[in-house]
Amino acid sequence: MNAFAWVRPLLATLVCFSLFEAAAAAVDVQVRLPAGEPVEDVAVILEPVSGRVPLPKKTARIEQVDREFVPYLSIVQKGTSVQFPNRDRIKHHVYSFSPTKTFEIKLYAGQPAKPVLFDKPGEVVLGCNIHDWMEAHVLVVDTPWFGKTALNGTARIEGVPAGRYRLWVWHPRQKAAASVQALTLGATTVRADFVLDVAPQPLRFKPPAGPKSY
Amino acid sequence: MAGLNLERRIVVVFVGLVVLVMGLILLLVQRSGERIVAVESQRQLAAGQTSFESLVAQNQRQLELAATVLSRDFSFREAIATQDRPTMISVLQNHGSRIGARAMMALALDGRVIADIQQQQKPGDAFAFAELLAAAEAAGQASDIVRMADGRMYQVVVVPILAPVRIAWIVMGFPIDHAWATSLARTSGLDISLVNAAGSRMLASSLPESRHAVLLQAMAGETGLSREVTLDGDHFQGIALPLGQQARVILLHSLEKSEAVFKELERSLLFTASGGIVLLVFGSLWLARHIAGPINALAATARRIEAGDYSQPVVVQSQDEIGQLAASFEGMRVGIASRESKITRLAYEDALTGLPNRVRIEERLASLGDTAEAALVVLDLDRFAAINDALGHPVGDQLLRQVGARLVQQLPPGAMLARLWGDEFAFLLEDMARPAVVDFAESLRVALQTPMDLEGQRLDVNGSLGIAFYPADGTDLNALLQRAELAMYEAKRRQSGYMLAEQVGPGPLPEHLSLIGEMRDALDKREFILHYQPKLDLASGRVTGAEALLRWQHPQRGLVAPARFIPFAESTGFIREITPWLLEAVVAQTAAWRAQGFELVVSANLSARDLLDPGLVAWVRELVTGHALPPAALCLEITESALMEDPALAQAHLQALADFGVKLSIDDYGAGQASLAYVKSLPVHELKIDQSFIRTLADSPKDVAIVQSTITLGHALGLAVVAEGIETEADLAWLAANGCDVGQGYFIARPMAADALCDWMNGRRAQAG
Repeated sequence: MNAFAWVRPLLATLVCFSLFEAAAAAVDVQVRLPAGEPVEDVAVILEPVSGRVPLPKKTARIEQVDREFVPYLSIVQKGTSVQFPNRDRIKHHVYSFSPTKTFEIKLYAGQPAKPVLFDKPGEVVLGCNIHDWMEAHVLVVDTPWFGKTALNGTARIEGVPAGRYRLWVWHPRQKAAASVQALTLGATTVRADFVLDVAPQPLRFKPPAGPKSY
Repeated sequence: MAGLNLERRIVVVFVGLVVLVMGLILLLVQRSGERIVAVESQRQLAAGQTSFESLVAQNQRQLELAATVLSRDFSFREAIATQDRPTMISVLQNHGSRIGARAMMALALDGRVIADIQQQQKPGDAFAFAELLAAAEAAGQASDIVRMADGRMYQVVVVPILAPVRIAWIVMGFPIDHAWATSLARTSGLDISLVNAAGSRMLASSLPESRHAVLLQAMAGETGLSREVTLDGDHFQGIALPLGQQARVILLHSLEKSEAVFKELERSLLFTASGGIVLLVFGSLWLARHIAGPINALAATARRIEAGDYSQPVVVQSQDEIGQLAASFEGMRVGIASRESKITRLAYEDALTGLPNRVRIEERLASLGDTAEAALVVLDLDRFAAINDALGHPVGDQLLRQVGARLVQQLPPGAMLARLWGDEFAFLLEDMARPAVVDFAESLRVALQTPMDLEGQRLDVNGSLGIAFYPADGTDLNALLQRAELAMYEAKRRQSGYMLAEQVGPGPLPEHLSLIGEMRDALDKREFILHYQPKLDLASGRVTGAEALLRWQHPQRGLVAPARFIPFAESTGFIREITPWLLEAVVAQTAAWRAQGFELVVSANLSARDLLDPGLVAWVRELVTGHALPPAALCLEITESALMEDPALAQAHLQALADFGVKLSIDDYGAGQASLAYVKSLPVHELKIDQSFIRTLADSPKDVAIVQSTITLGHALGLAVVAEGIETEADLAWLAANGCDVGQGYFIARPMAADALCDWMNGRRAQAG
C-alpha cells in the first residue's frame, strides 16, 4: 500500500494531464462480497493514467457524533484539509499513528483550531484516545475522482473527463486488494463490478451513553 | 495372702478394663484420625487444586488485563507506532516494568519479532510460540505458560496494539519462579512446585530446595493422581497436574495441621486416660482395701479362732455386708467360745463336784517333765456303797461334793485334786518330798475325821489312801493309778489308812503280759479243762455236789497249777474272758449229769471282776434257762475279798442271782475281813470255811474253835457250812461230828475229769449198794 502511495502522485502528474479536456463521463461501480452481498463503505478510486489531476479545492470534515467518527471512511484528495468538529458534549482526543499522516488533536471540544492537512496519499487510521472503540479511516488519494459505495454496494463517479483510467477499490478491512481495472472513458457511463472480501466489523465494547452526563 | 490377692485382683480387673477401653478408644481415635486425615487431606487437596487452578486463571486474567491496559496506553502505542527499535525497546522495558513483566516483545502482525527487551529473539525471527499467536489472533488475546529461550518459565500474554486497529502484538512474560510459587502457595494453602513436563526438573517451588529431589522422585509418573508423600518426615497429600504445554505443577497439602488436631486429641485422650487410670488405681486400691481389709481382719480372727483363741472380739465398723458378716462372725465366735468352754469344762471337770476329772489329771501328769517328781495320792472312801444304798444316791452325791470341798481345803499350792470316779479322788502333788507326802496323807485322814453334816445327819467318813510316786512307780497315769490303787486297796484291806505303792509291790510283771497271750491261746485251743471235786454231804454220806476247778493243760509245761495263773487272770481281768466259757461248760456238764441221773449241785468260782460285771446276772439266767437247768443246780462261789471290792454292787448282783434261784456260796470264809454282819445281809446259802483252818484242825486248838464257832454261826444264819481241804479221816470225822454240812477234799476225792467223776460216783454207788 505504502509503495503505491508514494508512486501514485508522481504518475498522476506526468501521465494524466492530457485527458483533462475530454467530455465528462460517469462510472457506476458495484462491489460485492464473494458470497454476493453488496459491500458498503468501499472506496472507489478512479485515477487518470496520465496522472494529471486538478488541484484539490475543497475541505473535508470528519465529525464525532455520539462517540463515533462520522463517516467511518473518508476519501480525500491529497492536499485536502480535514476538519474534526466535535459534536458531542464530551471531549475527544483524535489521533493517527499512520505513517501517511501522523497527528494528534488532544482533548478538545467543538471545532479544533486548525484542520489537518492530508498531504500524502495513503491510508490513515484515526482513533480516539479516550474511546477505544472509535475508529475512522481516511484514504488519501491523488485524484479528485472517487466514490464510496452505499448500503447497496454501489458507487457512482460523475463528471470524469474522457480518457484512460485505472479503477480500483479499497476497504479498510479488505482481506486482499482487488485487482485494478483499466478503463477508457468516453462520454458514456461505464459500469464496473468488483468482488472484494471484507472482514466483518469486529465487535467492540462501547459503553452505553449516560443520560446527557458526558 | 488371700487379702492381697483379692486387692490385687480388684485393682487388676478395674484398671485392666479401663486400660482396655481407653486403649480401644485411643486406637479408634488413631484409626479414625488417620482415615479422617486421609479423606480430609484429599478433600483439601482437591479444594486446594480448585483454588490453585482458579488462582492461576485469575492470575492469568489479571495479567491479560494488565497487559491489555498497558497496550492501550497512548504513549506506549505511540512509541510502538514509531517503529523505532531503540524507542520500542525502551518503552517495552519501561512499561513492562510497570506491570512486572520480565519478558516484553513486540511482534509485527505477521508474527515476526520487532523488538525483544531480553534479546532472546532477534528482530525478524518468527515468534517462538506460533500457537499462542494464532490463539491471540482468534480471540483477540491469548496467554499460556511456556518456557522461553532463557530456559525459564513464563506466563506469557499476547495482546494486540490497537491504534485503534491492530498494528502490532505485544508479548509480555511474567516469570513463574519461587516468588510466584510462594505467593500462590500462600493464597491457596498448598505447597506449589513447578516442574518440567517430564516431571524430572524442578523449575520453581515454594518448598525449600532440600526437598526438591525427594519430591520429584515421589511425584514422578502420571499426573492427576493423588498420592501421599513424605518429605523429611512431614506428610503431604500431593497431586501433579499439567500446567500449560511445557510444565506440570505439583500441589502438596500438608497433613500436619489435620494430623495435629488428632495428635492433640490423642495427647489429651492419653493424658485423660493416664489420669483416669491413676485415679482408678488409687480408687480401686482404696475400694479393695475397704473390702479386703475387713475380710483380712475376719480371716485373722478366724485363724485365731482356729488356733483356739476366742478371746479377741471381731471388730469391723461398717454397715455393709461385710459389717453384717463380721457381726455374725462375732456371734459365732461368742457361741463357739462359750460352747468350747462348756465342752472343756465337761471334758476336764467332774460334773458332780466341779473338780478336775481323770482326763485333766492325766494331761497334767503327761505334761510333767522328765526330771520332775510327783506323787499321786488316791483316796477311796470306806463304806461309801453302803452309805449310798442306805441313804440314797442324792445323799451320796451330796456326800461326794462335801468330801470334794473338804479335800480342796487341804490342797497344797500347785497341787491338783481330781475326782476319778465313784468315791475315788486323786491328788497330784508336784515336787513334794516323801515325808511331806506322807504327812499330807495323814492330814487328809485327819481332815476327814470331822463328821460330815448331811441334811442334818452327822456322818462319819473314812477313806483309804494309796500313794504312788512319779517316776519311781510309773510314768503314766494308768501305771501310777494302778500302783496307787493297789496300795489303796491294800490299805483298805489292812485298814491301815494309807499304803505306799512300793510297800504293796508292783502289779503284774511284764512277763505276765505274755502269760495273757498264752491264756488267750489256751482258751482258743481248749487247753483249759475243768476238773470236778465232789462235795460230800456229811450227814448222809452222799455226794450232793461238785466244785468245778479250772486246770490248764499246757502243751509244753504240762498241767499248770491254778495258783500260777488264776490270781494273775483275776488281777489282769482276763478272768472275765475265761468265766463265760467256764460257766457254760459247768452248766452244760451239770445238765449232762442230770440227764445221766446224777443230780449234783455244781459250784463255779466267780472272781471279783466277774461279780461286778453288770451283764453277769442276765448271762447266768440265759445260760441256766438255755440248758433247762433248775437254777438251784448251779452254785456260784464268791470270795470274801471279791465281795469287799464293791460291796454294794456285789450285793445287788448277788441279790439278783439269789432271786433267780442260783445257790450262792462264800468262799474262803475267814481269810478276809467280811464280818458276819455283812454276810448276814447277803442272800447266800452257804459258807465255805477257808481250807487253811481245816488243814491245821488237828494241830491248832484255835482253829478248832474258829471252825466250830463258824459252823455254829453259819447255822445260826441259816447257812450251810462247807469245809474244804479235808485230807484226813480224822478231820472228816471231826467235821461231821461238829455239824459241818458238807465236806470236800483229797480225803474224799481229788478233783477229776467229768467222766472220771461219773465212774467214781458209779463206783461209790456200787460200793454203797
